Amino acid sequence: MSVADNSALLSVRNIQRSFRGLRVLKDVQFDIAPHSFAGLIGPNGAGKSTLFNIISGFLKPTSGSMTFDGTDISPCSVQERSRRGLVRTFQTPQIFGGMTVLENLMVGLHKNSRSGITGNLFLSRRSRREYREAYQAATSALDRFGLAHVGSQNAQSLPGGLQRMLELARAYLGKPRLLMLDEPSSGLNNDEIGQLTQALHQLNAEGITILLVSHDMELVRAASIIHVLCFGEIIATGPLAAIQQNARVREAYLGA
Amino acid sequence: MTFALFVQSLFAGVTNGFVYGLVGLGLAVIFRGTRVINAMQGEFSTVAGMATVLMLDHWPIPMPVAMLSAMVIGGVIGLFLELVPVRALRRRGGTEDSYLLLTLGVAFTLSALILYFVGRDSRLLPGIGGEATLIFFDAAIRVHAIWLIVISTLVMVGLKWLYTGTHVGLSMMAASIDADGAATTGINVPLMRTATFCLGGLIGGLAGMLITPLTTVRYDMGMLLTLKGFAAAILGGLTNPFGAMLGGVTLGLLETLAVGFVSSGYKDVIALSILIVIMILLPNGMLGRIGRKGG
Amino acid sequence: MHKTLRPRISLVLMAVAGVLLWAALPVLVSRHVVDLLVFAGIYSIAGLGVSYLLGNCGIVTLAQSVFYGIGAYCVAYFSAQHGLPSGVGFGMGALLSAAIAFTVGWPTLRLSGHFLALATLALGLIGQTLFLELDWITGGTLGIGGLPKLSLLGWNLDTPQRFYYLVWPIAVLVMWLKHNLTHSRNGLAMRAMRDAPDAAAVAGVEIHALKVKMFMLSAILGSLAGSLFAHYVGFVSVDSFGVDRSISFLLLAVLGGVHTSWGPALGAIFVTLVPEALSRFGEIHSVLFAMTLVIAVIFLPHGLGGALERLLRRKAVA
Repeated sequence: MSVADNSALLSVRNIQRSFRGLRVLKDVQFDIAPHSFAGLIGPNGAGKSTLFNIISGFLKPTSGSMTFDGTDISPCSVQERSRRGLVRTFQTPQIFGGMTVLENLMVGLHKNSRSGITGNLFLSRRSRREYREAYQAATSALDRFGLAHVGSQNAQSLPGGLQRMLELARAYLGKPRLLMLDEPSSGLNNDEIGQLTQALHQLNAEGITILLVSHDMELVRAASIIHVLCFGEIIATGPLAAIQQNARVREAYLGA
Repeated sequence: MTFALFVQSLFAGVTNGFVYGLVGLGLAVIFRGTRVINAMQGEFSTVAGMATVLMLDHWPIPMPVAMLSAMVIGGVIGLFLELVPVRALRRRGGTEDSYLLLTLGVAFTLSALILYFVGRDSRLLPGIGGEATLIFFDAAIRVHAIWLIVISTLVMVGLKWLYTGTHVGLSMMAASIDADGAATTGINVPLMRTATFCLGGLIGGLAGMLITPLTTVRYDMGMLLTLKGFAAAILGGLTNPFGAMLGGVTLGLLETLAVGFVSSGYKDVIALSILIVIMILLPNGMLGRIGRKGG
Repeated sequence: MHKTLRPRISLVLMAVAGVLLWAALPVLVSRHVVDLLVFAGIYSIAGLGVSYLLGNCGIVTLAQSVFYGIGAYCVAYFSAQHGLPSGVGFGMGALLSAAIAFTVGWPTLRLSGHFLALATLALGLIGQTLFLELDWITGGTLGIGGLPKLSLLGWNLDTPQRFYYLVWPIAVLVMWLKHNLTHSRNGLAMRAMRDAPDAAAVAGVEIHALKVKMFMLSAILGSLAGSLFAHYVGFVSVDSFGVDRSISFLLLAVLGGVHTSWGPALGAIFVTLVPEALSRFGEIHSVLFAMTLVIAVIFLPHGLGGALERLLRRKAVA
């Protein structure tokens, strides 16, 4: 058992997970350095989604541990991890369909405000201030993510590409330290993938650490370090060029 | 409690359970085929039971004919329900909750109609085999109750066969799971939905015919029947015919035991509390299949 | 500037006209109609509780009659039996309802969809039975009579007209509160968890706790309505707190439209006045009422409130 790397933002150690006796994750360990832009790739069925769900708190690992910024987050709920700065998106965009785009973004600020139901009911000063601040922050995010023209539209009516952007913008408003993106480019056209890549670079430049799962090589190219997950284990770690030369990776992908 | 009495009440619990199961079966059939929670499933039974009573009042028709016509009445109501209000709502894009309210409204309408035309009286039907009883461990058991269990079991097995072994059953399933996909393979989706409601009505009508000799029929009995059937179906996982029966029998036994060991006044409290606990502990129904959100 | 002002002026005018009409109504219509309107006001408070849950959280509850009953029995028990001030009855009803909603809601609100609907229905039936069986408190089928009339600042609310002026301001206050909540941090969070619970969790929404709190709030409103009901009719018995009452609360909430704050009031007026209007057709009126419900569900998908709102918006644009 190896010891967590103290300089890492996220440190995953000896994670195992089985479903009904089938071991999906055998022994996963890797580190994400602060401010890095990391990619996680692997063939279908490698366990990427399971790993993502475990890191974000939707699934409990059978064994193993995770530290985020030096503290053990294994016992933390999804919400608690989010408050610590670990924010994710989903493979199929999870938008709030019955709300406007602006309201969707305002939910992104939920954890940064405190007012309770009683205060909300009786319009306490804090409740009004928080709502106003959320409104303003969400409005400026609309511009930044190219959603200004659809701000008052129902989120359900957005085309797929804008739904992805909406999800990204909402995650950004949650002040993430580590932003985990699950297949953010699926369903996007080439133009949109270009915009997405640019947006991610910008977020990364602002100091947000990014961990990306994708099949899309265009997008993966943007990552500076790549972890390859295969049959429940990380089989290689390094920059894209090195990964492409790695014999085990070639074997996993080409089956040769 | 003597042993004979114990056997007798246990058997009564099982019989009630099959009744709940039969209602639950109808609910499950309609839910499985159309994703609609049919809050008027009990009304199929009330109307069919009452209509059979009225027919037997006026005409000397033999029992099997009365039974068949009760089923036909249920089926026709199901047909009408799907063709008129449900389709009208579907055209307007009804939500899951709106179907629940729609069928609730239809249930009120039917029970108000019975109240208007028949009145508040409880009516009774002769059972299959009349009042004949069998003696079993000193307990007297009505022949009709045994017929009820046998027929319910046959219906359950028949449904299983329909869904797994026939083209119509598979088409019904396909139409509900993926309407567009089913349509492209040449399945007439609207027809399948209508057929589903009709089938639910047939089962409901049969249930009414089987229940009335045991419990009597009254204009307002539909709602409680629907509720218990719903409980049975959900206990069983909502889409599984065997599950609905198993759920029904569980519920019937729980009620009986509650009466036997606590007090008859708290019968529903205990049965329903246990129901809630079971739902929390077994969110996928007793057979552990999918169904938490109804899928 | 001029263009944006005009609809606002017409809205203000409409609001003023509405308030005047509301104030004048008890004088204009018969005592019997005022009596029905008082019930409509009471029902709309309980219905708002149901509507809070359904419209914001997507939770169907069929247990509201339990809290309605608790509110009423607390008034009967504390005010009538023990002669305590009416505030005690209201307060104990609200406290007890919130406590029971918490105890029962904590485990059951983990269920979802039809399961939760069934669980609340089961609670409704359990409550109905307990009200009957615990007859040493509730009086069983005989009920408890002789409840004191409410008096407010020395003003005895002993006629339908007077009670009307108490009930409707409370109902409007509750509507205003719902409006505030919908447009707040937690209101947004609720709708978020209704539409996409996983994403709401990532946004930090404590889903289960929020559901439990809303269930408690809804229960308190049910209890408030029940306490008002008990004071108004002066008599409580199990017949008023059955599951059919829960169903009618749900029905009026949906009929009025769960996405508007004032929808439940319209729904409540509908379910109290329409049967009355239909009663001149004789015994068939209950059939006609039930059919009206069916038609309303089909043709008014967003309820009366939603339809009216759309009409007003069209007016404002035109």
